[in-house]
Amino acid sequence: MATAARYGSRVDAGLLVGCVVLSLIAVVLKDEDREPIASALRRSVVAPLVGLQRGAERWRSAWVTSEQRQLASDSIAIRGIKEQAALVENDQLRKIVGLGSRLEWGFIPAEAVHSAAPSEDVVTNMTLTAGSVAGVQRYNPVVAPEGLVGVVQTADPTMSVAILYTSPDFRASAMSADASAFGIVYPHTGRGSAAYMLELRGVPTRVQLKPGTQIYTSGLGGTFPRGISIGTVVSELKTTEPWTRTYLLRPSVSPSHVTTVLVLTAQRVTQGTGNVWGAAVNTDSATRRIVAANDSMARQAALIEAQARRAALDSVRRATIDSVRRSLGAGVAPEPTDARDTTRARRDSTRADTIRKRPT
Amino acid sequence: MNWTGAVRTMLVCAILIVLHYTLRPLLAWRASIDFLIVALLLGSVRLRPGAAAVYGFLLGLVADSIAVSPFGAAALAMSIVGFGASWLKAVFFADNLALNGFFLFLAKWIFDLIFLIVGHRAIDPELAMQIFVWSPLAAAVTALAGVIVLSLLKPLMDVRTT
Repeated sequence: MATAARYGSRVDAGLLVGCVVLSLIAVVLKDEDREPIASALRRSVVAPLVGLQRGAERWRSAWVTSEQRQLASDSIAIRGIKEQAALVENDQLRKIVGLGSRLEWGFIPAEAVHSAAPSEDVVTNMTLTAGSVAGVQRYNPVVAPEGLVGVVQTADPTMSVAILYTSPDFRASAMSADASAFGIVYPHTGRGSAAYMLELRGVPTRVQLKPGTQIYTSGLGGTFPRGISIGTVVSELKTTEPWTRTYLLRPSVSPSHVTTVLVLTAQRVTQGTGNVWGAAVNTDSATRRIVAANDSMARQAALIEAQARRAALDSVRRATIDSVRRSLGAGVAPEPTDARDTTRARRDSTRADTIRKRPT
Repeated sequence: MNWTGAVRTMLVCAILIVLHYTLRPLLAWRASIDFLIVALLLGSVRLRPGAAAVYGFLLGLVADSIAVSPFGAAALAMSIVGFGASWLKAVFFADNLALNGFFLFLAKWIFDLIFLIVGHRAIDPELAMQIFVWSPLAAAVTALAGVIVLSLLKPLMDVRTT
């Protein structure tokens, strides 16, 4: 038993030594000698494993390629989104530059930072990056290229806070584009998308505004200059007021899209902004009225002139005919029957009828 | 070891070898799982030391023929590890998962040590980094994977301690 165990141990040791020696021989072999052995193994016994490994590596490379493609497509999508955002921002900045060039003076540009309290559903105020040092004062109007945004509530040295038209404290005196209707604009008390709508209250009952009518600030009250676009009429709201109408307005400005604004100075408010926002509408209506007035005056003058000329011609003609007849010694010729003398002819004939006949 | 046990062991070792050439390249970890070492230890503890050395030698030849590493290095390392595992099975390979894990860790590290030294034939900082950083990490991962495999295949494997 002990001999067998000793024999077994010797065999084990011998096998180990044999394996180690063979391994070392394989290690010290030159490349050109070991490659045929490895190649033979790869082509015979190990071939299935080589196939498996190749398949796994192919899967791996496909996976990596797919991930890389996904990353590439993601980065392209992100770049596209960034480009879109840059385009939108560029468009907004172009508009604000355009508004600034139209206004020419009396404004302070500022960036708008939205600040909604967590409990608020609607954005009611925004922080502006310009303060009293830049010239911003309380109650200065805040405008965007599309129209009225709000009014400055507090002005600190380097920043200010403006309430938007959505704020419950917001009011603006307003009028229709043709100045046929006046009223006061209030924020509309609604939820969801209706929370950003406005109401035009106090419009006289006799005035009816059609949907789509543009509403501007009227300039009354002195806070906002005349002519800043507020919104468009959507529909009439049913109220209990018997003498006035209330209209629902869609604001010209969407607060979420406002990133840069202009704050109008008090001096600019006093002197007005002209027709910067509703230029086409206001100018057209005014021009139409002026042209219409001129036309009626011209028509009247032309009519008077034509009547005078006609009267002069008639008198000249009559005088000429009478003198010719007198020179020829002829009796009184029948009266001309042309259209221009029909009135006199009728008058005369009427008179003839009324003349009493001479007794024969 | 009876025939059923031998067939089961061969089946499990074959699965592990297949995993080594399918899952390992798929994962492509820097410190990767060495399923061949797990297969070597599972087989070696059921064989006599001499047979385990031969088994390790053959397994190493397979690894050498596929890998770009120096031919014979894996065969040498696996022969020694297989012989050692079979010789020490009574000491280490008890029915204790933690001990099995440690045994796998040690086997993988020794394998890497022999393989790297024989393969590199020179001591340089990269070799030291490989031996003291990446090899222990790979050994730990291999030990963890081996423990999981042993736990899953426990009903199949009949590990006898002598």
